[in-house]
Amino acid sequence: DGVAVLPAPQNISVQSTNMKHVLTWSPVMVPEEIVYYSVEYQGEYESLYMSHIWIPSNWCSPTTGLECDITDDITATVPYNLRVRATLGSQTSAWSTLKHPFNRNSTTLIPPGMEVTKDGFHLVIKLEDLGPQFEFFVAYWRREPGAKEHVKVVRPGGIPMHLETMEPGATYCVKARTFVKAIGRYSAFSQAECVKVQGESLPL
Amino acid sequence: GQEFQFGPCRVEGIVLQELWEAFWDMKDVVQAQDNITNVRLLRKEVLQNVSEAESCYLIHSLLKFYLNTIFKNYREKAVKFRILRSFSTLANNFVVIMSKLQPSQENEMFPISENARRRFLLFQREFKQLDREVALTKAFGEMDILLTWMETFYQ
Repeated sequence: DGVAVLPAPQNISVQSTNMKHVLTWSPVMVPEEIVYYSVEYQGEYESLYMSHIWIPSNWCSPTTGLECDITDDITATVPYNLRVRATLGSQTSAWSTLKHPFNRNSTTLIPPGMEVTKDGFHLVIKLEDLGPQFEFFVAYWRREPGAKEHVKVVRPGGIPMHLETMEPGATYCVKARTFVKAIGRYSAFSQAECVKVQGESLPL
Repeated sequence: GQEFQFGPCRVEGIVLQELWEAFWDMKDVVQAQDNITNVRLLRKEVLQNVSEAESCYLIHSLLKFYLNTIFKNYREKAVKFRILRSFSTLANNFVVIMSKLQPSQENEMFPISENARRRFLLFQREFKQLDREVALTKAFGEMDILLTWMETFYQ
């Protein structure tokens, strides 16, 4: 009667980097057949008050792929249960549930990509666009003994931002890190990038 | 980053925009079910001129009621109206807020907490005077009023 004949998907796991969460699993092998997969989730509230109710993932119910972008499904900083099952025609597998609930506060935050340029004497930075969840802390300084470090908060990324009007002949350095409000965490700082301004440096 | 500051109660980690987007996704479906337009549960007397000090007590009572009564009993409707995604986003973010609210229990705060309780009881009494299903539908549809009030404490 088409119930749980297929083996359930195995090796379910979540890879999460910079608040982009991807659920992956191993394929259910059926020679010369296309197997479909369905993903469902439940947040802490559902598992507490309505544990029988699971919500179909926005993008992957169903899918033929072996991964599912669940970023749009995870919309609160609470533990989420996730499960996957296989379907082939009228045959469906049992559900495989992620061993440990996933919380977005465990995402890996990596330093942002950035482009540091000169527009004449203007120091300009363009940060990677990581989406609305991200703010950027940009630190910049003139490379000289005892230089003071300045910090600017930039939101959002993807737009060139003027940092400083530079002195001729001087070298300026910039580094940046991200802050994610929803989980209250920072990334590490990026490598510093430096630019040198043409012209004679002014006497101090 | 922005956070909620309900008087002494500070709540981080909530992106209010996510809550608004979840409500807007279901607003038409939910509010279309509410035919009693001359009654409002979250009336002015409940939410207007709430002092900072009162706000932590009031939001705690309101969210507790929403989670334990309104969401809990609205879930079949959420399945029926296919709004489980929005329902889940709001419910789980309310769980986060609740987990971070610690209203002070000190005696000297009693007059303030009592004020907040009176406001909440106004809301609850209005809720209980309506038919159960009607009250659930109206309260669920009034979450934009609740979010608008909460936004005044988001800084």
